[in-house]
Amino acid sequence: MEFDRELIVRAQGGDRSAHEAIVNQFSAMVFRLISRFFRMREDVEDIAQDVFLKVFARIDQVHPDENFPGWLARVTVNTCYDELRKTRRRKEAMETYGPELVAEQTVAPREPDSLGKARLALQRLDPKLRIPLVLKEVEDMSVEEIAKTMGLTQTNVKVRLFRARKKLQTMLGGTEGHSQ
Amino acid sequence: MNQLKDFFDSERQKFFAPDAFFTQRVMSRLSERSREGIIEEFGIWEALRSSTRPVLAFALVLILCFIGIAFFVPQLPQSGMVESFLAPEQNPAESFLYNDTEVPSRPVLLEQLIALEEQE
Repeated sequence: MEFDRELIVRAQGGDRSAHEAIVNQFSAMVFRLISRFFRMREDVEDIAQDVFLKVFARIDQVHPDENFPGWLARVTVNTCYDELRKTRRRKEAMETYGPELVAEQTVAPREPDSLGKARLALQRLDPKLRIPLVLKEVEDMSVEEIAKTMGLTQTNVKVRLFRARKKLQTMLGGTEGHSQ
Repeated sequence: MNQLKDFFDSERQKFFAPDAFFTQRVMSRLSERSREGIIEEFGIWEALRSSTRPVLAFALVLILCFIGIAFFVPQLPQSGMVESFLAPEQNPAESFLYNDTEVPSRPVLLEQLIALEEQE
């Protein structure tokens, strides 16, 4: 993605039009990334807004020659990670105190049965395994890119990918076994 | 696994796009923040992922405890573990041999040893 480094310098100086230009240029990318982890439009919108507010609060930390889209992707993924962890904790609490509501929320609407099962299995994965897997399989990122985005080593990413695939296969094997 | 491959293929097509007013909403939230004077400080702590913060905090507490203990416990004890264990059994003559005491000058030492022998 072509990016004007002057825009960063202007944004660092507090130029409002530069902020606006950054949002215009990168909102589609941020929305697409967040959509990989959240299915409700409202959630995606809220998180995207938070991402841009974080970005402008930390804009002084960016070096104009640095890979800004990569840095932005990193902020986005980290925000998603924190949000997924919060959601997971809430969900666990709901599973303890209100199982009916959870069952209602996790049903994947208008989807073939097999895809719905895969989605549910993916949603049950720990965010630290789910994020690298989605970035690899859906976003087609390389291991190196995932490592940079998540702030991990490449070996760590490979281990997480292996564990995520193995866990998913076990979960799907289990659900298939139950349905038979 | 085909089921997963199909799922990931279908996922590629599904994503939300920002609407026409998204930028305006972000900008109004941004100006609202600056109007209210909400200035977020971002230091090392904020740069860390929130899940790693408790671990780091625990490690910091442990380090501080260690430093505190090391500060209060004297680094050079008066007597070592072996000496303090043997101390009650040592007579003054033996303590000259085992303890790292400052040896007095030769005539004084002789006087002390003679005095000890006389006592015995």
